[in-house]
Amino acid sequence: MPVTLALADFDLPTRSASGFLLRWIVPRAGLEPATLYAILARRTPFQLAVPQSDIIIGAGHGGVDVFTGQNEIILLEVAKYDPKEVEGKVIKLLSCQTAVELGPDLIKNGAEAFLGYMDDYVWVMDADLAIRPWADKIAATSLMPVVDGLNALLDGKTAREALDIELEGYSRNAEVEEDELVKACLEFNRDNAILLGNGGAKIRARPSLALPFKLIPPPPLILPRR
Amino acid sequence: MANAEWEELKQALKKPPTPEAMRGAAEAFKKYEVVQLAKGKRSKPTLVSLGKKQGYPNAVPVEKIPDELAKNPQFFKLMGRIVK
Repeated sequence: MPVTLALADFDLPTRSASGFLLRWIVPRAGLEPATLYAILARRTPFQLAVPQSDIIIGAGHGGVDVFTGQNEIILLEVAKYDPKEVEGKVIKLLSCQTAVELGPDLIKNGAEAFLGYMDDYVWVMDADLAIRPWADKIAATSLMPVVDGLNALLDGKTAREALDIELEGYSRNAEVEEDELVKACLEFNRDNAILLGNGGAKIRARPSLALPFKLIPPPPLILPRR
Repeated sequence: MANAEWEELKQALKKPPTPEAMRGAAEAFKKYEVVQLAKGKRSKPTLVSLGKKQGYPNAVPVEKIPDELAKNPQFFKLMGRIVK
């Protein structure tokens, strides 16, 4: 079963967040890609891909009851999706506030576990690195813990273990961070990260990132932003 | 370790979002930013978020944070939640 990744890329925050997942998570999808990147992060392709997945990973703008893809097109909204889209799945949304209403609704409709955030997901990025977002060391302090948590899930660890790895990443990075604003963002994201549903939920493990992908980053992103 | 400028910002953000408090927070952030620039490690830092229509921009260059703090109560409240 494929991993469904829905990665919006149309402004600085979506470019940065999706860039890190593009660099470190997408290559692990390997021969079973259902990566809805940029213009493909729309409702119809999402609807077609998710029923076959055991994990849904999304990066895009969101609110208490909604998660969106490219140009804020709605991908998931409370009570406006078929429960078959989410039944039995582990869902991770890198987005703002989706754990308030959308997450509980997904669990109520059969999702196995939901990982998201109770408040805004905030970080400091270097706007000069928008064409190579994965090279942004300031953004990495916040986004690499997300990547590490996702990799733990793809290694076959439980949702609870994956969340713990993400939380430890924020704490570790905050401890050594000298910039108070960056540190405050890390602590804010850590305090708002939440797991709903079955903490023991697991997905089928995927092979780890192949060596060439570990060493060689993708080419720069030349897609225009809005 | 938090510096005095950061502590001043924290205190300024604890107040209700009145125009006076927002101007005070903007001034406090400017002082903090001067200290950070003196450390000389940054290129074009931008505070970003993944919120949908939250009443403040999703990307605010750090140097523009004082302007946004001074004029936008929603952004003032967000910063108050982040800077605790």
